[in-house]
Amino acid sequence: MELLELEEVHAGYGPTQVLHGVSMKMAEGEIISLLGANGAGKTTTLRAICGGVRWDGAIKLSGRSLHRMSTEDIVRSGLAHVPEGRGILTDLTVEENLRLGEHLRRDRDQVRKDYVRVFEYFPVLRERRRLSASTLSGGEQQMLALARALLMRPRLMLLDEPSLGLAPLVVRAIFEIIRDINRADGVGVLLVEQNARLALELSTHSYVLEVGRVAVAGLSSELKGNDSVRRSYLGY
Amino acid sequence: MQEFLQQVVSGIASGGIFASLALALVLIYNAMGLVNFAQGEMAMFATFVAYALIENGMSYWIALPLALVLAFAGGVLIQRVVIRPVERAPVLTLVIVTLGLATLINGLAGFVFGYIPRSFPSPFSVQTVSVLGALISFRDLGVIAVSALVLVLIYLLLQRTTLGLAMRAAAHNPDASRLLGVRVSWMLALGWGLASAVGALSGIMVAPILLLEPNMMQTIIIYAFAAAVLGGIESPLGAVVGGLIVGITVNLAGAYLVGGDLQLAVAFLIIVAVLVIKPNGLFGRPSVRRV
Repeated sequence: MELLELEEVHAGYGPTQVLHGVSMKMAEGEIISLLGANGAGKTTTLRAICGGVRWDGAIKLSGRSLHRMSTEDIVRSGLAHVPEGRGILTDLTVEENLRLGEHLRRDRDQVRKDYVRVFEYFPVLRERRRLSASTLSGGEQQMLALARALLMRPRLMLLDEPSLGLAPLVVRAIFEIIRDINRADGVGVLLVEQNARLALELSTHSYVLEVGRVAVAGLSSELKGNDSVRRSYLGY
Repeated sequence: MQEFLQQVVSGIASGGIFASLALALVLIYNAMGLVNFAQGEMAMFATFVAYALIENGMSYWIALPLALVLAFAGGVLIQRVVIRPVERAPVLTLVIVTLGLATLINGLAGFVFGYIPRSFPSPFSVQTVSVLGALISFRDLGVIAVSALVLVLIYLLLQRTTLGLAMRAAAHNPDASRLLGVRVSWMLALGWGLASAVGALSGIMVAPILLLEPNMMQTIIIYAFAAAVLGGIESPLGAVVGGLIVGITVNLAGAYLVGGDLQLAVAFLIIVAVLVIKPNGLFGRPSVRRV
C-alpha cells in the first residue's frame, strides 16, 4: 500500500485556486522531493495534506482518506509537519517544545531512547534545553523542529524548506540527519525545497510543480541528469 | 505598628481574593487575547451555587470543592456554547459577547436567587490571634491559606503536567500546537473551565466579607483588573503578585490616606498609572507586532 496518495487535489484560499489537480504517490519509507518556483503550490500541497486548507479530490495516508479530518487527528494518525517558519513555540522552552512532540506517545521506554538519539544529533539542544526557544538561532530552531518531528515518531514527515535561511554547512548537516532519520526509523519524508540540487540528491523520486499542476515527475537521478528539465524548472 | 501589620495582613487576604479573580482573567486573556468581562458575574453565580448547596445542608468543605467543580463545568460549557461559535470573530465582537454574558448571568442570578443580600457562611471564625502583637483574624488567615493552596495547585497543573503544557501551547500558538496533535479547541475550553473555577473561589472567599447578592463582584472585578494589569495581563505569576500588591495598597490607602469610600479610586489610579508608566506591567513582555 502507498504511504501517501494524492489524486486530483484542488485547493486554494477563498476565491484563489492554487492547486489545479495535483496527483502524486509515495511509498513507505521513501524520500520524495517536491520542487518548483515560488507560488507553484508546494506549501499549499503540504497544507492540504495536513488539513490546513480546504481541498477537493482525494488524499490518503496509508490508504485512509484524510477528507474532512482535523489537523489534530491527521497528526495523531502518524503525520509530522514542519511548516514554513518551523512552527516553534517561542513562548516555551526548548525542552517543552520537545515534550510536546512526544506528549501523545505511550511507549515511554522508546521515548527515552529517542531523546538520547535527538541529543546525539543535536547536542546544542541539550545545552539549551532550559532556555526559551525564542533564544535559538534560525539553524538551531530548524534543528529543534526536526528533533521534535523525530520524537513524534510519525510514518510521514512533511518538511517545508528546511534549508531556508541557513548557512550551507548547517544545511548539509541537517540533510544528512534527515537521511539518517529516514533510514533508521523508516519514516517517509516529503520534502519541499528551493534548493533543488540538494533535494534531488537526497530523494528517490521528485515532483516538479508548475502553477498548481505536476509538470514533471520521475526518478530524482534522471531529473538531475536531464538538462532541459533542469534549466526550465529547477533554475540551475 | 501593630495596626499597620494588621492592615497588611488583611490586605494580603484581600489580595488573595483579587489574585484569584485576576488569575482567571489572565488565563482567558492568554487563551483568546481578550478580557472576559463576565468573569466576575460567573464567579458570583458560582458563589450562589455554593450558597444553595450549603443552605440545603451540605457541609462547607464539601460544598466548596463541589461548587468549584460545577464552576469548572459551567466555564467549559460557556466556552463550547457561547464563545466557540464566535471564536474567530473580531475582538470587539468577543468583548460585546462577554459583556452580554455578564448582563445575562447577572439577570439570571437575580431571577433565580433574588436581589436581597444574604450573609454567606465562613468556616473560619472572626476571632483573632495575636501575631507579633497584631490581632489577626482567623478568617483572614483562612482566606490566605485557601487562596495560596489553589494558586499553587494551578501553578503545578500549568507548569508541571503535560495537560498544562498543552494548554499553554494551545493558548500561545494554536496553529503550531495543532501540528503537534494538541486538541486546541478543547484546551481553550479547559482554560475557560479553570478560569471559571479560580474565579468562583474568589467569589466564595469574598462573600462572607461582603454580602452575597447579584452585584457582589462588580467592585471586586475592578480590583482584579487592576491586579491583572499591574502584573502584566499575560502573566499568571504577575496576576498573583499584582493581586497582593493591590490588596495591600488598597487596604493601607483605605486605613491611612483616603478612607473606605475612595478605595476603588485607588484601584483605578493603579490601572491608569500602570498603563501610563509601564504598559506591559511588572511581568509582561513588551508586545511586538508586525504591521
